Amino acid sequence: MSSNNYWKGVEELDQTKEFVSSNANEFSEGLPLDKVFSNDDSTRANRRDFLKYFGFGLGAVTLAACNKAPIRKAIPYTEKPDNVTPGVPLYYASSSVSNTEGFPVIVKVREGRPIKFEPNKEATYFGGGLDGLGHSAILSLYDTNRLRGPMVSGKRKPLSWEDFDKEVKQGLAKTVSLGKSIAIITNGSNSLVTNKAISDFKAKYNNTEVIAYEPISYSGILRANTKSFGQRIIPAYNFDQADVIVSFGADFLGTWISPIKFHSDYSKNRVPKEGKMSKHYQFESLMSLTGSNADVRVPMKMSNVGQHLIALYRELGGATPHQGMEVAGNTIKVAAAELKAAGNKGLVVCGSNNEADQLLVNSINMMLGSYGTCIDTTNYYKGQTADEADFNAFLTRAKSGNYGAVINLDTNPLYSHPAAKEAFNAIPMRITTALTLDETSVNATHIATNLHPLENWDVKEPYKGRYVIAQPTISPVFEGRSSASSLVAWAGGDVADKAETTHAYNYTKQTFEAIVGGNFNKALEIGIVENLSAASVPSFNITGRAAADAIATKKGVDTELIIYQKVGVRDGAFGNTPWAHEMPDPVSKVTWDNYISIAMPDAKAQDLETGDVVKLTTKTGTIELPVLVQPGQTKSTYGIALGYGRLLPEEVKNDLKDLGKNAYPLVDMTAGYSDYTIGGVKLEKVLTPYKYEFGITQTHYSIEGRDIIREATLDEYNKDPRSGSYVHKPKMISLWDDYDYSKGHHWAMAIDLNSCTGCSACIVSCSIENNVPIVGRDEVRRRREMHWLRIDRYYSFEAPSQKDLSLSIVHGGEQTVEAGEQMTREKVMEAYSAASEDTDSAYDYYQNVRVAHQPMMCQHCDNAPCETVCPVLATTHSSEGLNQMTYNRCIGTKYCGNNCPYKVRRFNWFRYNENEKFDYHFSNDLGKMVINPDVTVRSRGVMEKCSFCVQRIQATKLTAKRENRKMKTDEFTTACAQTCPSNAIVFGDLNNKESEIAKLYANDRSYHVLEELGVKPSVQYMTKIRNKK
Amino acid sequence: MYSADIRQPLVTGGKTYSDVTADVCRPIENKPTSSWWLGFITGVVLLMVLVVTLAWTVWEGIGTWNTNKSVMWGWDITNFVFWVGIGHAGTLISAILLLFRQKWRMSINRSAEAMTIFAVFCAAIFPLFHMGRVWLGFWPLPLPNAFGSLWVNFNSPLLWDVFAISTYLSVSLVFWYLGLIPDIATVRDRATSKARKFWYGFFAMGWNGSAKSWGRYEVVALILAGISTPLVLSVHTIVSMDFATSVIPGWHTTIFPPYFVAGAIFSGFGMVLTLLLIARYVMNYQDYITKEHLEAMTKVILLTGSIVGVAYITEFVIAAYSGYEYEQYAFANRMFGPYAWAYWTMMFCNLLAPQVFWSKWARTTPWFIFVISIVVNIGMWFERFVIIVTSLHRDFLPSSWVMYHATWVEVGIFLGTFGLFFTCFFLFAKFLPVINMAEVKTIIKDKE
Repeated sequence: MSSNNYWKGVEELDQTKEFVSSNANEFSEGLPLDKVFSNDDSTRANRRDFLKYFGFGLGAVTLAACNKAPIRKAIPYTEKPDNVTPGVPLYYASSSVSNTEGFPVIVKVREGRPIKFEPNKEATYFGGGLDGLGHSAILSLYDTNRLRGPMVSGKRKPLSWEDFDKEVKQGLAKTVSLGKSIAIITNGSNSLVTNKAISDFKAKYNNTEVIAYEPISYSGILRANTKSFGQRIIPAYNFDQADVIVSFGADFLGTWISPIKFHSDYSKNRVPKEGKMSKHYQFESLMSLTGSNADVRVPMKMSNVGQHLIALYRELGGATPHQGMEVAGNTIKVAAAELKAAGNKGLVVCGSNNEADQLLVNSINMMLGSYGTCIDTTNYYKGQTADEADFNAFLTRAKSGNYGAVINLDTNPLYSHPAAKEAFNAIPMRITTALTLDETSVNATHIATNLHPLENWDVKEPYKGRYVIAQPTISPVFEGRSSASSLVAWAGGDVADKAETTHAYNYTKQTFEAIVGGNFNKALEIGIVENLSAASVPSFNITGRAAADAIATKKGVDTELIIYQKVGVRDGAFGNTPWAHEMPDPVSKVTWDNYISIAMPDAKAQDLETGDVVKLTTKTGTIELPVLVQPGQTKSTYGIALGYGRLLPEEVKNDLKDLGKNAYPLVDMTAGYSDYTIGGVKLEKVLTPYKYEFGITQTHYSIEGRDIIREATLDEYNKDPRSGSYVHKPKMISLWDDYDYSKGHHWAMAIDLNSCTGCSACIVSCSIENNVPIVGRDEVRRRREMHWLRIDRYYSFEAPSQKDLSLSIVHGGEQTVEAGEQMTREKVMEAYSAASEDTDSAYDYYQNVRVAHQPMMCQHCDNAPCETVCPVLATTHSSEGLNQMTYNRCIGTKYCGNNCPYKVRRFNWFRYNENEKFDYHFSNDLGKMVINPDVTVRSRGVMEKCSFCVQRIQATKLTAKRENRKMKTDEFTTACAQTCPSNAIVFGDLNNKESEIAKLYANDRSYHVLEELGVKPSVQYMTKIRNKK
Repeated sequence: MYSADIRQPLVTGGKTYSDVTADVCRPIENKPTSSWWLGFITGVVLLMVLVVTLAWTVWEGIGTWNTNKSVMWGWDITNFVFWVGIGHAGTLISAILLLFRQKWRMSINRSAEAMTIFAVFCAAIFPLFHMGRVWLGFWPLPLPNAFGSLWVNFNSPLLWDVFAISTYLSVSLVFWYLGLIPDIATVRDRATSKARKFWYGFFAMGWNGSAKSWGRYEVVALILAGISTPLVLSVHTIVSMDFATSVIPGWHTTIFPPYFVAGAIFSGFGMVLTLLLIARYVMNYQDYITKEHLEAMTKVILLTGSIVGVAYITEFVIAAYSGYEYEQYAFANRMFGPYAWAYWTMMFCNLLAPQVFWSKWARTTPWFIFVISIVVNIGMWFERFVIIVTSLHRDFLPSSWVMYHATWVEVGIFLGTFGLFFTCFFLFAKFLPVINMAEVKTIIKDKE
């Protein structure tokens, strides 16, 4: 007992009688039990009872309201596989799956599931970036429509491989006995393993023909190169070597040949260094992604490209009697002078598929001396090798019954070639290796269900001497078999697994060791092996003069149709991935659709507006599509994208089914090659009750002269690095206390508007990393796309010429437009309508628009307007400068979204997961495998936005902490920055003075968007410098 | 007793005390009329529309509305501000006019207060159901919780709204109920059935009409009037701060508090007039709600409408003068942009239309006043629509500029709140004395 005796009152001290007696009870006054238990009604429910009842009632209601959460079982490993630690991702080098090229990538794998592609930074030649389609193609692995096993036509139930092989072998034996040929259709020839398997197959069936088929043809280049220097190749183009780039309709940043690598190379010279940057001329019909980045973009009719090439050839001193044709403003002359000055640092590329055009381009490049510098014919490109003449010849032979069997390896000619179906049906046995039921496999007699590239081994050769090794990152999801193994099996080979390794592994390893050589495991680790030869300059057999003669008679047409690929969906082959569709087109910002793009003057002349449906007629067919008025497009040209209008069977649950129209039948093949420029087209307005509404993410075209994008010319920049960024603003006083970031990290981002091309790879990368839901066309129509990161595209008009100014001066003696002023559409229109009745000149401005791309995501403002208005503190500021979003706390008032000056907050209007109305990957068990387990899948009714990939920040911090060290400089980066092929986005810690971001923050070109608001964003942009006068 | 030779009598028709009691109690004590049934059933049908559309919203998500990535508030908050505004007249009439000893308020204050309360009910639906997760709607209340240091954000104007509106609603309710007690006691005393006796007796809280009771009653009424008066000004001031404290051009203006309060009184009187003119006609209360009343109220409309009009013009001039391009654009866009029709509707209804009340004829012709009161209601709805939607649909970055059109769900919810409002109002008219008998009796001359 304590020696201190406390007493609580005088009564206790005195121990009065009353105190002693009352203290014996717990309650000094006693409980009113008698009253409660008496029959007196007035006291039946007293105050205490009321509280009891109330408390009980509340408790009961609360319990009743607590629904039982659904039970989901997670099965732990009974034996943990080596290296697999739940929660720790593994990374494997492999090859991209979105095309047949074989682009090196890293696959991020969590608990045995590949969840994301990341660029392979070791593969420096390829630039360390990835595109939107490349990212979105991961979903083809988890496509719920994937075939479950080998199938025979008519039966929708998979067979066993033994039975299937037996049938195929019988069929092939029958073909041999009938004396007919077997055709193998391949998608190019850069897979060493497939090539080996084909040769094994041929050894058994020597009457086999191999025909390469690619939906997009580059035969013009192949044929021209054969004629020019005897090599049937597409060379490697090195845009990083070029100081002056002149492109005639080649969308090399978007869709032409190998755009991801071109992006990286191109961007290396786009940021001014020591007063210099590359100069890019683009002559084109449609407004392409490449054109939107050009320093000088000149609208040109693609059907006139030959005439323009002749003009350039002459200007460069080429000997030809032909005059050619100059574009408005003598731009070809200027470009020729610059090319001449650049010498072997000049590069001319051309998107035409006409052999003669390409011959002249070759001659021009030869004159410049670009072979050996900008163009490498030794370590050439192997991603595209097909010539459609071979395939067309095959179709003719097939129709006349030459073939008893066709084996179609992962191509879909029945979609992309209008004549293929009839010819294929003339072949009795049609075997196809496919992942899903597409147009070709539906028509096949035998479907040898393939393995997904991520389940399979392969060695690809995208460039001569550069080998990319693909390795499986998941066990086969279904009963597929690699097409190489299938070929070997049909040739009588043994494809059983041996010594716990699959046939595909052994076969690939053998092939690698035989052809490439070296340590296979080492190659697997890095993902790329390079055995290069020294570049040599080819000797030319043909002169430019002859080429010019061949084109000279080709004249431009009145109206032309350009068939092109969209940056998102490309040729349509791997387009069954909703991310690629939801990614807005970098220029038109349309999602989920193709359309006929037309120029403003044509729209006015034919009384068309965006959304009007028109019927377009060419020699080969008609197509009915809505129109989209596209600024920058050349007058009298129309554009339609490929990759849409799939004809898929009913049982395929696919988002592609009702998307757009198929433009492949319109490709003109009458001249012996696929011509994507079609002359003599007619446009007819179709009367529809309503205009077609596009799912378009940006509906206002003009920047309204606002100081959002800052830009300057190279000359201005060289004079003063801060030019373009001078905006007179009063010194402002902040009402807020500044945050103290002196301790720990301070995260920030810098975006260089000079490097950013608008390719939109970051959008898809961000969506996949952060489980951003896909909402579909209808919701995009309602302006509810969920992208955390968007790329704002703004058009601006060139400042009016002196002539235009004098026009304005005439009007009322007042100069209404000042030279050099940023023009808005309204201002130009006003100036013109004030000056004259001639609105045609105003429409000319629409052909000559300038474009700027600006990635926009949460700016992580220090004085964030969203943070102050949330009533429940669901969005708060971190000590490291992040604007955090607490989903669990969010009640969805949307006030933050309204108060965000950048409008980057996205609201979950519906539950986008497990909802049959949003039947994308979030709503089926297979598709859900792609979800990043590090990021919450948001529920309905909460706000979300860019988090600066906070899960990556946290993971890296934890690794550093576990390893008892400080975080390394630029140890990690965000998903957008990581994937950017042009390195335009840089993320890092401002408190680390060594970091790239800290250096960029000191750059003279840096500015913040809307900085006058005083919100102090953590994202900094860098003034766009255009290399022009 | 209230009389002055220079004033028109406030109650006409030579009513005696017993006439007043009989007239006011008649609807309560008799079977409802067919016009009452018509109104009540219409109200209930619309109320069902509210139930269905709200259920659909909660079941499917706010996605059933058409609000989007830029315009995240649309009809919902427009309707909220509209109803809160309407809810201003009642307290103004009962509190401020009581303090100013405006005796003409006596025959209208009861129904005006009832209208206030029902309007606030309607208003409260919107901030609640516009939440993405309405089932967590209690989170903005500063409740102690088991989530650690989780607390509400006192910086947020939405939180101020929660306090302002709940305070306003509770004070208005108490004030209204207090005023009802003597009248309920009258109904109780006249009741013939046991149930009526019980229920009216229950709510009369043992009122015995003694001088002591009256004395306390008047003191409490005055105190409540004193408490309510600042609330009339504060509620809409705080609602306006939802916009004024933001950074969005068109919202971020310091003129909002006074302008919103004037607008609220304007719209509240518009609604009071609409309702009273109906009640006056349906219930034959021409002697109690005289042209004198109508004239007084139209004068308030004329005054507040003009204040609002001046505010519109001031806002515009300030924007032009500011040299701030975003602000300038926001106002140019209101006038000439895609929503110009809404702006000009608002300008016509709120600025021009009430100016007819300079004419004595207009102020004393009931059908005409009715038309204008509807115009004012429409105009004030559009005012909120213009402020909210045109500011959001084109703010800073043109890349995010969008259009917004309501879906049937949003329209249904708005119509449905009228259902709730009229259902409540008709029930009120059936079961409670619509005119304050006790007070009206003080302003008539009864020879007895």
